[in-house]
Amino acid sequence: MAVCVAIVGKDNSPKYFCCLNPDEELSFQYKVLSSLDVIEEKLNAGNKGTNDLRELYLGMLYSLETHKIYGYVTNTKIKFVIVVDSTNMALRDNEIRSMFRKLHSEYADIVCNPFYIPGESICSKSFDVSVKNIMTGTV
Amino acid sequence: MQSYIQNTSDLPPELCAKPLALVGVSGLDTLNNAVHKSIWETFSNNRRADRSPVFFKLISNAHEFPVIKPKRNSYDWYIPKGILKRNWMNKHLYEIPAVIVIFYDLDWNDSLWNEKMIECASRVQSLRAALEGRNTRIAVVLIQNTLPLPPGEDVLASDRAVSLCASCELNASSLFVLPHGDHLQGYAVRLESAFYEFAQSYYHNEIKTIRSHKEHLNKSSHQYLFVRHQFKMGFLYELKQDVHTAHKHYTHAYNYLLEIRVVDTNALEIRTVAGFINYKLCKLMFALNLPRDAISQFKAHIDRFKNRMGFHELSFEHYAWLSKQFSVFGDIFDEAVKLGLPAVQTQHPGIYYQQAAQYAILRKKSCQELCSNIIALPQPHPLEGANSMEFYGQRPWRPGKLSAEPPDPQLESNGIQAIQYLEKQFAHSNAIVSLYGLAISQYKTYRCPRTRRHLVLQMAEEYYNSHDFGKALTLLTHMLWDFRAENWWLLLTDILEKAIRCAYLTASVQDYVLLSLEILGKYSKLSVEQKKRIHENLQRILKRQIPFGDQKLTPDVLQHAVIQWQPKLQTEPIHLSLDLGNVSTCIETKATFMQAKYEVDQNVTVEVYIKCSSPLPLTFTKVSVTINTPSYNCEYAVDNQNLSSNSLEFGSDETKRFVIDFVPDSNDVNSEIQIGAINLVMGNASETNLDLKFSPQNGPNRVCPELLHFKYSPHKLNFDNISPRTATLIIPRHSKLEIGLEYAIPALLGEWFAIKIAINNEELHDIKDMRVEVALSKDETISLTEFSTNSSGVPEKLPLVVKLPPTLRQGEKCSGCFYLRAHKVVENHIEVKISYTLDREKPVVSIKTETIIVPVVKPFEISTKFQSSLMEEIGQFYVGEEVGVMCSVRCLSPWPLIIENTSFEFTSPCKSTENSIVSHLANTRLEDKEVGVELFLAVCEKSSDSNVTVGQYMVKWRRENGLSTTSQLTIIGHTCHWIPLELKMSVPAHGFVRTPLLIDYHLHNRSRQLLQLDVAMEGSEAFMYAGYKQFSVSVLPESVKSIQYNLYPLIAGSVALPKLVLTLPENSGEVPGLRQEQLKSLVERCLPTHLYVMPQVKGAPQLPGLVKPRRLAKIK
Repeated sequence: MAVCVAIVGKDNSPKYFCCLNPDEELSFQYKVLSSLDVIEEKLNAGNKGTNDLRELYLGMLYSLETHKIYGYVTNTKIKFVIVVDSTNMALRDNEIRSMFRKLHSEYADIVCNPFYIPGESICSKSFDVSVKNIMTGTV
Repeated sequence: MQSYIQNTSDLPPELCAKPLALVGVSGLDTLNNAVHKSIWETFSNNRRADRSPVFFKLISNAHEFPVIKPKRNSYDWYIPKGILKRNWMNKHLYEIPAVIVIFYDLDWNDSLWNEKMIECASRVQSLRAALEGRNTRIAVVLIQNTLPLPPGEDVLASDRAVSLCASCELNASSLFVLPHGDHLQGYAVRLESAFYEFAQSYYHNEIKTIRSHKEHLNKSSHQYLFVRHQFKMGFLYELKQDVHTAHKHYTHAYNYLLEIRVVDTNALEIRTVAGFINYKLCKLMFALNLPRDAISQFKAHIDRFKNRMGFHELSFEHYAWLSKQFSVFGDIFDEAVKLGLPAVQTQHPGIYYQQAAQYAILRKKSCQELCSNIIALPQPHPLEGANSMEFYGQRPWRPGKLSAEPPDPQLESNGIQAIQYLEKQFAHSNAIVSLYGLAISQYKTYRCPRTRRHLVLQMAEEYYNSHDFGKALTLLTHMLWDFRAENWWLLLTDILEKAIRCAYLTASVQDYVLLSLEILGKYSKLSVEQKKRIHENLQRILKRQIPFGDQKLTPDVLQHAVIQWQPKLQTEPIHLSLDLGNVSTCIETKATFMQAKYEVDQNVTVEVYIKCSSPLPLTFTKVSVTINTPSYNCEYAVDNQNLSSNSLEFGSDETKRFVIDFVPDSNDVNSEIQIGAINLVMGNASETNLDLKFSPQNGPNRVCPELLHFKYSPHKLNFDNISPRTATLIIPRHSKLEIGLEYAIPALLGEWFAIKIAINNEELHDIKDMRVEVALSKDETISLTEFSTNSSGVPEKLPLVVKLPPTLRQGEKCSGCFYLRAHKVVENHIEVKISYTLDREKPVVSIKTETIIVPVVKPFEISTKFQSSLMEEIGQFYVGEEVGVMCSVRCLSPWPLIIENTSFEFTSPCKSTENSIVSHLANTRLEDKEVGVELFLAVCEKSSDSNVTVGQYMVKWRRENGLSTTSQLTIIGHTCHWIPLELKMSVPAHGFVRTPLLIDYHLHNRSRQLLQLDVAMEGSEAFMYAGYKQFSVSVLPESVKSIQYNLYPLIAGSVALPKLVLTLPENSGEVPGLRQEQLKSLVERCLPTHLYVMPQVKGAPQLPGLVKPRRLAKIK
C-alpha cells in the first residue's frame, strides 16, 4: 500500500498529488520535490549511456528513515512518484512496478480525455478513485 | 562548566589529531644560539607530506616525564574502573617520546675533546635517569663546524666516535654527525628518517608489551581491559603508521566493547567510547580507500546505538551524541572527498550533515520539553571536576563505579538537574543552522537544487524559531522564485504564509505588500478567511494603519512587531515601487499593440487587459503603460476622464480592458517600439502610494499555451486567450504620390539613356520640400555607370538630384528627366526616391521610392579584316605594300540604329593611300543583325615585329530620335615585314579573243644593292605570247625594271594567265631580306592569276586604251 502518489509534468510542476492522509500532503510534497533531483540526475545520466528506452521504471530514488520513494518516467518525461512506508515489507520491486504501470495507463486515459488540457493539473473524480484503488492495492 | 555537555558528545582533540611518532629534541638552545635555532627550525617547520611522519618536541634539561606505573605481575585482583583513560592518548602523542635526540656541539678535533666528551656523556646519563624504566631510544647528534671526511679516511674521527659511544653507553648506530653548513635541509631529512625508524621499533616494542598482558586477562572481570588494550594497540600502530593493523585492532576493540553488558551506570561511557572507536575506524577505512565499508560501519554503529536512549531525563544528550556522530562522519567523508574520493548524488557528506541537523532539532525539542523548569544549578555543583576525570564518558558525581549497585538517588537527580540546566544554556539554533549550512553547500555540489531549497527552508524555519525573523524572511523570499518557476503552488503557499509572518514581525512594508499581493492571487491555496485578513491588512497599510498580526503569534512577539510598525507608518507618506515582473500575484496584466505595424501618422493603440484574481475587490488609481523606443521611454496613462468612476475597481476574478492611444514620434520611423511595462498605482500620494510594475508578459509557464482557448471561460473577456504583441514597427506613411517612369530598355552601352519621371500629386494636400533623388541600389555597378541630369553629358555624382519644382499643388503634375550612361554590360538597379513634406497643420514627412532595373546591351559589334590588293585576306603586312582595311559594323541593338558618320584615323606608321577618306556607311540605318561594311586603303611604312596599330575607327551613331553617340575602336593589324623587291603588274581589265594585249611586270628594287633574278615565263594553253621565255634580269638599286609581254588570248572566259616565275640565281650572292619562298609569296600576292577574256568583238577593237588601268602607279 502506497501512502502517496504524485504525477509531475515535464516542466517539473505537479500535475496530480494524492496522499492517503491529506494532512501530510505538505511534507510529502517536499519529499517528492526533493526526489525530483534524483530523477533529473538519472535522466541526464541516461542520455549518455545506452539505457533501454523501454525501461521507464527508475527504481528507488530515496530511502528515508520513514519512507521509500520510487520513480517512473514516461517517454514524454512525465514523472510518476510513489511513496511507500519504510516499514511496509509486503511491497517488493515487482509490485511497485505494476503499480506504476497501472498508474501510467490511467494517466494515458486522462490525457485522452478531450476535456483535459495537457499541462494543466489533473482534476477528475474518477481518476481520484482509480488512483486510490491503485494505492490501496484493491485493483 | 559550560562545556560539559560538549565534552560528552564532542570528540577530544587528541583523538582527532593525526598520530605522529614523537621525537624529543634536547640540547638545543633555541633562544640564545643562532645555530641551534636554525637547526630547530629546519626540523620543526615545513612539515610537508613528503617528510617522515614524526613530530618534534623540544625537551629542556629539567623536563620531567610522566612517572611510569609499577609493573603488574598479576591481574587477578585488578578491577578496572573505566575503559579509556583520559590522559593516555595525550601522553603518547605529546609527552613520552619514542626517541630522544641529544644535540651537542663537538668537532672531532676539538681541543677540549675529553672534557666535552665527558659532559656529553653526563647529559646522556641524566636523560636516561629521567626516563627511568621507559624504553625510549636515545640518540646523540654532534653539531660540527667542519665538514666530515669520507668514512674510513678520518682515523681520528672513528677513534673518537668509538670512545664517545663507549662513554655514553650508546650503540654506534645511535651516534650521528650534523655538519652545520650548506645542506642543512638534506641532512635533516636523512636524520629524521633515521629517527623515524627508531620510533617504529620503539612503538613495536610497546605494542608487544601490551599484547603480552592479554594472557593475564579473563573475560568476566576484565572486559574493559580487552577494549582498552585493543584500542591502545590500534593507537600505537597508528603512531607506527601501520594503518592496516591499526584498523584490525580498532575493530577488535569495537567488538569487545559490544560484548559489554550495558547498564544505566555505564551506558554513557560505552556510547562515548564506541563513538571514539567508530571515529577511528571510519577515518582509517576512508584512508584505506574503503568508503563503502566506512559507510556500512557507520550505519551499523548508528543502528546499534540509536535506540539506546539511556535516561529519559537526559534524552537530549543522546540526540546530541547522535547529531555529533553524523556531523563528524560528514566531516570525515568530506575530508576524504577533498583528497580525491568520488562521491555521488545519493551518497555524499551532505546527507550526514542533514541527519546531524535533524538530530540537533530533536535535541532541541527534547531540551525544551525536559529543561524548561530548571532555573538554577543545584549546590554543591555535581559536575565539579568533569574535565579532570580519569576516564572518558563517566559521570562526574560517580566516577569509576563499576558495580551495578543502585546509585544514590539524590546525587543522581542533582546531577541530572545540573546537566539539564547547562543544556538549557546551549545555543541550539546556531548549531542547527550551521549544520544546515554545511548540508546545503554539499547538496549544491552534488546537484540537488530542490533538496537544497528544502534545506534552506528548514534553515529559515530554524531562524524563525530563534526569532531571527529578518534572516528567515531573506531566505524565504529567495526561495519563492524557484517554487514559482515549477508551479508547486501548495509549497509556495506554505512559504508565503511563513514569509508574510516574518515580514509582519520585521515590519517590512515592501515585503509585506508584495507577499500579500501574491497571497491574494489564485495560486495561493490559503483559505478565504486568511485571504480576507491579508486583504484587510493591505487596505490598512494603504491608509497608513498598522496591520493586524496573526492570531497564532504569541502576545510578546506581537507587541514587539507593533512597536516596529509604528515609526514606519506614522512619519511620512509611503511611496513604494514594486517590480512584479516575475511574481505571480493576484493581478495579471497583458498589454498588446493592435497592429504589427503603424504608419507614422497613425495613432498607435495599446490594449491593456487587467485581471484580478483576488477574492476581494481591489481598487487602483491609475493604469499606464511604459513604451520603450530606441531613443527614449515614456509612459502613457489611461485617460481618467473617459472612465466611469468605478472602472478601476476590480471585483473577484474580474477582467477589464483599457485602450491607450498615442501618436508616435516621427524619429522612430523604421524602428521597433516595445511595451516596456504596465504600471498600476494603488493608494494615493498623501498616504500610501504603491507603484506596481508588471512586465508585459507574465504569469506562470504554460506547457501548451496554444491549447488554452479550449478552456472554459465564463467571462466575455477570456484573459488566457490573449496573446500579447509587445512590439510594433513604426513605418513611414504610405505615399499617395503617383510616379510615372518612362524609358526604353535595354540601355545601349555608351549612350546617354534617358529616363523620364512624371509625378502626379494625388495626396489630399499640397506638398512641399520635394526632392527627387536617384541612386544605385547595388553598389557594385557604381563605378561603371554615369548619371547626369541633362543631355550635355557631364557626369554628376550620386545621389543625383533631379531638378523639379519643390512644391506641388494638390492634383498638379510635373515631370523631369535624367540620363545614365553605362560603360559595361551590367544590370543597373536604380532607385528613385521622392521625399517631401505634406503641407498641412502637422507636417508629415513622406517618402516614396521606386526601383527600376535597366539592363545594358552592346549597340553593335565592329570587326575588321585586312586584304591584299588582290582582295585576299592576309595575315602579314609588308612595308610599302598596299593593304585594304575592311571594317564591318554588326547591329546588336533591338532598336534600329542610325550610323551618322564613320571615320578612320590612321596612326603612324600606317597612312591612308586615298586622297580623301569618305565614309561609306554614313546615314545608314541598321536593323538588328544587319551589317554595314566599308573599306579603307592604307600602307604601312615601317617594319614591326609586333602587331602594328592601324588607327582609330570611330562610329557616330544614335537611336532613331535619340542622342548621337560616338563609339571609338582601336584597330590592331598584323606584323609588318620589309623585303627589297616590289612587284607590280599592269594588265588591262579584260581582253578579247585573238586580240593582242600588253602586260607589263614592274620590278622595283628598294634596296641599295644590285638585285639579280632569274625570270621565267611558263607556257599557257590559253595564250600565245611574245617576250622572253627565260632570262636573267638585274635590277639596279632603287630603280624599276619593267618586263613586257604581248599576249594573244586564244579562248574566252576567266582564263589563267601565264605564270611568271622568279628565282634567285644559284651563283649570285646572298641578297639581304630576300629568300626564295618570300619571292614565291610575293608573286602569289601581287600578281593576278586570271584575266577575263571576252569573245572576239565585231569590228576593229580599240587597243589597249579600251580599259583604263586600275589603280596602278605610273611606271616610269
